Amino acid sequence: MSNPMKSSATGENLAQVPVWLFILLFVLLFWGMYYFDQNSGWFNAHVYSPYRNVAELQLYQPAGGGGNDRGKAVYENVCALCHNPDGNGKPNQAPPLVGSEWVLGSPARMIRIPLAGLAGPVMVKGQEWNLAMPAMGAALPDDDLAAVLTYMRQSWGNKASAITTEQVKAIRAELGGRSQPFTADQLQQVP
Amino acid sequence: MNYGPLIFLAALFALSGSWLGFVVTPSFQLGTLQQTNTVGAGLTYPLARPGLAQQGLQVYRANGCVYCHSQMVTQERTLCEVVLTEAGTNTTALVAALHKLNPNYNQEALDAVLKSLPKTVVFNTTKTKADAAVKELTQTTAKAQVVITPAGPDIARGWGKRRSVAEDYLYDYPTLPGAQRVGPDLANAGARLPDVNWHLRHLYAPAAEVKGSTMPPYRFLFELRKAGLTPSTQALQLSPGIAPSGWEVVPRPEAVALATYLASLRADAPLYSTPLSSAPTASASADTNAPAGGANLSTNAPAAK
Repeated sequence: MSNPMKSSATGENLAQVPVWLFILLFVLLFWGMYYFDQNSGWFNAHVYSPYRNVAELQLYQPAGGGGNDRGKAVYENVCALCHNPDGNGKPNQAPPLVGSEWVLGSPARMIRIPLAGLAGPVMVKGQEWNLAMPAMGAALPDDDLAAVLTYMRQSWGNKASAITTEQVKAIRAELGGRSQPFTADQLQQVP
Repeated sequence: MNYGPLIFLAALFALSGSWLGFVVTPSFQLGTLQQTNTVGAGLTYPLARPGLAQQGLQVYRANGCVYCHSQMVTQERTLCEVVLTEAGTNTTALVAALHKLNPNYNQEALDAVLKSLPKTVVFNTTKTKADAAVKELTQTTAKAQVVITPAGPDIARGWGKRRSVAEDYLYDYPTLPGAQRVGPDLANAGARLPDVNWHLRHLYAPAAEVKGSTMPPYRFLFELRKAGLTPSTQALQLSPGIAPSGWEVVPRPEAVALATYLASLRADAPLYSTPLSSAPTASASADTNAPAGGANLSTNAPAAK
């Protein structure tokens, strides 16, 4: 191998090509394929994504803007069927959320309603409703429930404090998988 | 002469090279792709297509739609704008800040801006500059937001709101991104034309729905039935003169599946890899009396309908 001239006398010319040359050729070929793959699209950078790296992508993320898209999405999936997308409720189906003292009042009361449900007579904005709300929020993750409750408290003209995931988590732990719905009187006991 | 090792090596290189290039590398890049969440609403994306649309994909494939239609929106750049949403209380400082951002604003132009909010005050800038401008405007108690808009020829043609990404094709088997654009791109066909009946009419008589369309009619996906006393509920509502008189055009199951598939095509959910602002709201704050518009959510809807 070190002296190809010597062994070429045997006439087996092909066998004299050293193996490392093949390996080098292969590596070069692979690098070439990789290079052309990286620059496919006729070396036109516009073919590719306008973002060159993760940092640039992170920079271009839209700011939250104060909107609560997540709460809105959950509301429209879970709550809006009865409470109406505009939060005004439906007769004989669900009381309104707009301006409701239950929505705008104590967070601890409000969080309990979707977690365990509410049955029996309840006064909302001076009108009595006697229906049963199932525990619609029991299956929702804490952050989704917090987002949707915040959405109710801050939409359609409602102005109340946001509800945090920690608040929901604490009350869910306190209820410990309670299956009985609350009555309005029981909720009034809650501070 | 013994060429065995040489042939073996050549074959090994050729096969393992293409295997590495075509199988292993893509698998590393995209093999673990999973459903993701949309930005903002946090909805799962993409959802699997409903069964009929899934069948429609096979009809799309079988009829060679992919030879004339692509399903891939490209994006060249991202534009940033600054939109002033609220003037705040300190108008003097705001006017000074606006003048600093754009020296072309004279007092009259500034008054006009302040009267018709929300108004774009900085156009076509970078994200860094836009963020700085928002910070400056916010310091004057005004409210402003950055609007991020993907841009490029495909987006200018109205073919989509953002570039296509790998997630868009997660549940397509096979994926049909296409390579030719004799017809328009269909990545967002369902977002543009959500009406299944429109697609059916268009498949039967393309030129009747789109003036100057060169698409061949796919009439073999429909059957002609003698019009009875009561027209079939499934018959197409075609303009007069297209179907022979006395006959009605009823779509075969393949046509319904294909039209359902076309109406299900939409790839416009805001994802992390495709930054994009939702339409600028009248006010960025959450606690206003403005009704929450329903139009906004539709842009976040996942691909499946």
